[in-house]
Amino acid sequence: MAADFLFQVFPNSGLPIYRQLIDQVRHHVASGRVKPGDFLPSVRQVALELEVNHMTVSKAYSLLERDGVVELVRGQGMRVAPRPAASENGSVRERQEKLLPLLRQVAAEAYQLNLSTAQVKSLIDRVLKELDQS
Amino acid sequence: MNPFPPENALEFRAVSKLYGERAVLDRLDLAIPSGSVVGLLGKNGAGKTTLLRCALGLAKPQHGTVTILGEPAWTLSASAKQYLGYVPQTPQLYPWMRVAHLLDYTGSFYRRWNGALVRQLAADWRLPLNQRAGTLSVGEAQKLTLVMALGHEPDLLILDEPVASLDPSARREFLKVVLEIAAGGNRTVLFSTHITSDLERVADRVAILQNGKISFFGELGELKDQIKRLRLVSVNTFPERFDMPGILTQRIQGKQALVTTRLVTPEMLDRLETDWHATVEVEDLNLEEIFLELHDE
Repeated sequence: MAADFLFQVFPNSGLPIYRQLIDQVRHHVASGRVKPGDFLPSVRQVALELEVNHMTVSKAYSLLERDGVVELVRGQGMRVAPRPAASENGSVRERQEKLLPLLRQVAAEAYQLNLSTAQVKSLIDRVLKELDQS
Repeated sequence: MNPFPPENALEFRAVSKLYGERAVLDRLDLAIPSGSVVGLLGKNGAGKTTLLRCALGLAKPQHGTVTILGEPAWTLSASAKQYLGYVPQTPQLYPWMRVAHLLDYTGSFYRRWNGALVRQLAADWRLPLNQRAGTLSVGEAQKLTLVMALGHEPDLLILDEPVASLDPSARREFLKVVLEIAAGGNRTVLFSTHITSDLERVADRVAILQNGKISFFGELGELKDQIKRLRLVSVNTFPERFDMPGILTQRIQGKQALVTTRLVTPEMLDRLETDWHATVEVEDLNLEEIFLELHDE
């Protein structure tokens, strides 16, 4: 089954187009809009539709493949990989480490915005809940 | 198509081109791999046209070598020219010829001429086939020159400011054609432009020409990954200048600073944070902003 979603890119953004594509796939996978076993549209299709260079799309796809988000099925295209078991992704500690830099940035911003610890925590709770529900 | 395309469609080695005392190209190196779509970016007068003309053997550099499709550019054989397409900044057309006649005439010089493609493009771009070339508008003349350069489906297509006089919709259609050429795989496109938004869509690589040299050549994504603007806020007052490698521009005002750096590294961020007790925010820049920062040194 083909995944039913459309990419949207902003070529003038500071975020490289291939990163925009990667983020969108990851986002759709995380939100459950795209499920393991779904196929991504072909590189050619995406390039034509978005009017961007096909190398840009294939770079995004191969990085997603490298990270295990999708897998290449010969003759059929890129399929969303089964969600890795938690343990395959490293220990809890290792996975927490990955999140740390982003949280540091959040903490710094929160400090500048003069938000209390409780206020920040409630926001994080809300975002996590949104992810769970979708 | 050439069954054995060279690894690099175009190669400049230590090329210098002087006009009088002025070195427009100054020991310039550049290697464009076959199959890539490269946008050549530079300020007005940076030497983009000179670079393209040297690539085609239309101008002779005083030093260095230029190799195009595996042959020296200056002594390019007639058969190699069959695989080349070139659109100059100012179209060169015989004003008395009618458009249809001009297209046929051009086609007669090429062994492979895709008449169906030419008719298709001429129709898509609403070229007035029965009009004489001399009566065309600037935009129409540019479209005609493009069709003439695409008709033999060249392995290497070189375009000097191809969209400068096209309106936005014609520009979009033209970019689509370039993307289709690119999707075919083995064709190489090199185009100069100062419209950065077009380049962001179409090109997979960008070459920046600055002070007679290529100051950056690589994937567009790579350029955006490397060049970042840092927004620093500290409880202390910053020094007058940061002395760190890779800094392109810096604006410092008391406890706030805006620093653009050529290569952002985690170590650099750590150092800024610990040395100055600063919070550092990393901002992405688009190609236009990067271009301006690079020219503001």
